[in-house]
Amino acid sequence: MAGNVSVIAPLGILIAGGFVIYLLARLLNLDNRVEAVLTVLVLLATLVTTWMLIPSWFGSTTAFFGVLGDGGVIFQPNVLGIFIFLISLILGGLVSLYSAKSLSRDSRYLVYYPLILLSLAGLLGMFMTRDLFNLFLLTELTTITVSALVGFRYHQDRAIRAGFKYLIMSSLGTMIMLFGIYLVYRGSGALGLQMEIPIGTDSFSRIGAGCFLVGFSLKAGVVPLHTWVPEVYSQAPSSVSALMAGVISKSMLFIIPGVCLRLGITREELGIFLMVSACLNMLLGVIRALNQRELRRFLSYSSIAQTGYLMFTLGVGIYYSYTPAFSTGLFLFLGEAVMNGLVFLSAGVYEYHLDIRDVQALSGVSRKMPAQAFCFSVGLAGLAGIPLLAGFTGKWLVFSATIAVNDRFAWIGLAIFLISTVIGLAGYLPVLAFQYRPAENLASDSAVGDFSRVHVSNWMAIPVGALTLMVFLLGVYPGPWMGIIESLIKWLAI
Amino acid sequence: MISSLWLLGVAALPLVAVVVLLIWRKATKLQAGVLALVSEGLTLLIVFLLLPRLRQDGAVFYSFAWIQNLSINFSLELNWLSLVFLVTEMAVTLAAMVYSLGENTGEKSSNYYYALLLLFSLGMSGTTLAEDVFVFYIFWELMLLASVLLILIWGHGEERGKVSLKYFIVTHLGSLIVLVGLITLYVNVGSSSLSVLMEQAGSLPLQMQRTLTALFVIGFSVKMAIFPLHIWLPDAHTVAPTPVTIILAAAMLSMGTYGILRFPFSLFSMEALQPFSLWMMITGLISEVYGALMAFAEKDVKRIIAYSSVSQMGYILFGLGSLTEVGMQGAVMHVVYHAIVKGLLFMVVGIIIQATQERDIQKLGGLGKALPAVCLAAAVGALGISGMPPLGIFNSEWMIFSGGFETGFPAILTIGTLLGSIFTVIYALRFFGAIFLGDQRPDKLPKKASLALILPTVAVAVLLLLGGILPGPLLSWVVRGVQGVVGGL
Repeated sequence: MAGNVSVIAPLGILIAGGFVIYLLARLLNLDNRVEAVLTVLVLLATLVTTWMLIPSWFGSTTAFFGVLGDGGVIFQPNVLGIFIFLISLILGGLVSLYSAKSLSRDSRYLVYYPLILLSLAGLLGMFMTRDLFNLFLLTELTTITVSALVGFRYHQDRAIRAGFKYLIMSSLGTMIMLFGIYLVYRGSGALGLQMEIPIGTDSFSRIGAGCFLVGFSLKAGVVPLHTWVPEVYSQAPSSVSALMAGVISKSMLFIIPGVCLRLGITREELGIFLMVSACLNMLLGVIRALNQRELRRFLSYSSIAQTGYLMFTLGVGIYYSYTPAFSTGLFLFLGEAVMNGLVFLSAGVYEYHLDIRDVQALSGVSRKMPAQAFCFSVGLAGLAGIPLLAGFTGKWLVFSATIAVNDRFAWIGLAIFLISTVIGLAGYLPVLAFQYRPAENLASDSAVGDFSRVHVSNWMAIPVGALTLMVFLLGVYPGPWMGIIESLIKWLAI
Repeated sequence: MISSLWLLGVAALPLVAVVVLLIWRKATKLQAGVLALVSEGLTLLIVFLLLPRLRQDGAVFYSFAWIQNLSINFSLELNWLSLVFLVTEMAVTLAAMVYSLGENTGEKSSNYYYALLLLFSLGMSGTTLAEDVFVFYIFWELMLLASVLLILIWGHGEERGKVSLKYFIVTHLGSLIVLVGLITLYVNVGSSSLSVLMEQAGSLPLQMQRTLTALFVIGFSVKMAIFPLHIWLPDAHTVAPTPVTIILAAAMLSMGTYGILRFPFSLFSMEALQPFSLWMMITGLISEVYGALMAFAEKDVKRIIAYSSVSQMGYILFGLGSLTEVGMQGAVMHVVYHAIVKGLLFMVVGIIIQATQERDIQKLGGLGKALPAVCLAAAVGALGISGMPPLGIFNSEWMIFSGGFETGFPAILTIGTLLGSIFTVIYALRFFGAIFLGDQRPDKLPKKASLALILPTVAVAVLLLLGGILPGPLLSWVVRGVQGVVGGL
């Protein structure tokens, strides 16, 4: 073993924390809320240790931990991974707090929190590992734990089906990646993923890179490999959907350049792939969202479109070697994590308190839950790109980056971006407005039988409120966040 | 002399009132209305208090750093051009707020209703004062959002959801086109400040200036409801509660005019704008005639006046397209006069609908005897919109036509526009005659209109008369405002 052990401290805390919480819960028969609080404490400890890593790598990129030499296992933090992981930790903490109430009617919470911790450990490991085989293993760790979380409510057929679908689709992705590993090893005889050194540019490596591209695209929900997204996001517990739509799926996009560009795929090829796929995601997402009756399926398609916006920005950055596009991509990731987290958690509040799952049934809910309706509206308006909310700042930055490169591909992409924005509005606005429908126009299937207020549990209200505040902060005062991203981007080497 | 910090008050004061209204849930309609009126009135007073400063310095400027990473500042500027639009918009909002007190709109949730009216007004005043393109767009969208919510929540009929959605999507599409133009400017010049853009945008490549001009003219024409981009207007104006319709028609449409003057006309060279001149004039002519014919064909009294707006915006685009000083001055004068006359006509229509519960012009008639004051005001409005001297629109149309003749394009174009105004006379006289003349229908005996409705209506009619007879003060503001634009050409 060599290197600095603090590098893997966050990973160790997450994995150990998961097992300890499970054991404590089994032995002491812990209450759901206690387990949630313990999970938040583990995430806080992980946050602190991750934060403490910053001085060690801010000045140099050589900090690592692992076994050197052939077949060695190396973990090396990088700025991109740390940034994405910090956001994931914060959203994970909020989701855990929220679950303290939202899971109170489920009996299987014993395994829920450990699975959350393990899925985040897999995610962190994916960004820290420096070889393809461990990347494969850690991707599997994330996939399997998330599959279990998706099928968490195993007494519901649709949940089981969704979990199974995700497992099959994701496993297909990882199988393709495994085949890619074989091809890369055959072509180059190495699996190390050093930042500075391309592994190979031979045709085996290039095909292997293609396999990784397909595998990660599947996990990110890139069209046409997106078919699992609506089913999974609508059937998983809303807290899991929030985590998946907010960070886990979209973070896969940031692994693609680091892997593919080192395996012989050119910037032009990858950039074009991302931009074209992005356009498909944007259009399919917003068009399919229009005719969805189920609230979380609507949000799922919206999330597919949001993935498209992120891919488009990364595509512009890679194709044109335009660094500000990466800053924009990270800002978008942050904004989408917050907004998707907010809308999925809000949908969960409606499900939990009013048993509302359909868009039509939202009629008049603002009378029962005015604050909750406001928060959900902020999330939807943010996703629609309304000024002074996170989505608008992201939109402004995407426009700026695209216009700055001033090329026909970028302009075509921007036109599609605009069209999808307008179509998206036709989806977001009615959902938003349904909540405020006047009493005399309430739909017959409205859940609002009387207008008595429903108290939203603080366990759910606090995470939702915090995310709402974040949506405002990112829109009204985005400067500090952009400052952090810009300082990080200086160290980013894609 | 008053500090430029007071300029911030124009944005901050309505916001404070909005917060109070949002908290004050138990406010009655009268309480909420009076609070909103006081806030709007004080804001207008601040604008007038800034006038000496404006006369001295030529502009009043206030700024603070906002998003430093993007070099975006929260900058406001009051100049002569923005003054004309600002005062028009605020006066219209004030009148609409008084009118709201007498109308049966916003009876429920009055605090929210007046808060949204204030935000609507703030969106327009912020748009006119913005000195930074980012700030401009924020206020531009605030204006849209507030108006959409007002129609969605307090609009008439089952269709209000669909209508507000259509209004939002169509106008937002125009806004996005504008946004692309704004960001292209920002990226290529490297600044979002309008004063910097005014200095440097003229030196951008000619092709880029022309592309940007096309984007801005199309984007702002959506807001102006120029044919064929007017599709949102008739439904939105019809479904919206009358006070909101008054603000939409009398004030918000003019924001498109302001946008064209503030961006392509202020920023780019004459060489870049020249190719658009003829097209703008032709589109203006088509819009003028189309709107007038549709107004003539319509039966719904609100839709008649709504289509009249499409027609009147055609005159304005024609004046702008002439690219002459007098044409542009006429266009800006027309904005003000149109605001007055359109506010007046919608007030009249609102009173008629409230008094008779009838919107079909064929089922109305003979109301002149029952509502003499309203009849007199409607007569002033109908004659005003027909361009009858000495009412204001005569002055502005005269200037617009003069601008048209100065262009060097075939005179037939301007003559066509002049002749097109005959259609305006026809629908205006039909509107007045069918409602107020003839025999009164026994089944449509009107209820007595409240003083809160009659007073602002009569006041606006008097203002239209005064504005026409004494155009001097307005003209001096407009001349100075347009000079700032033409000076850059």
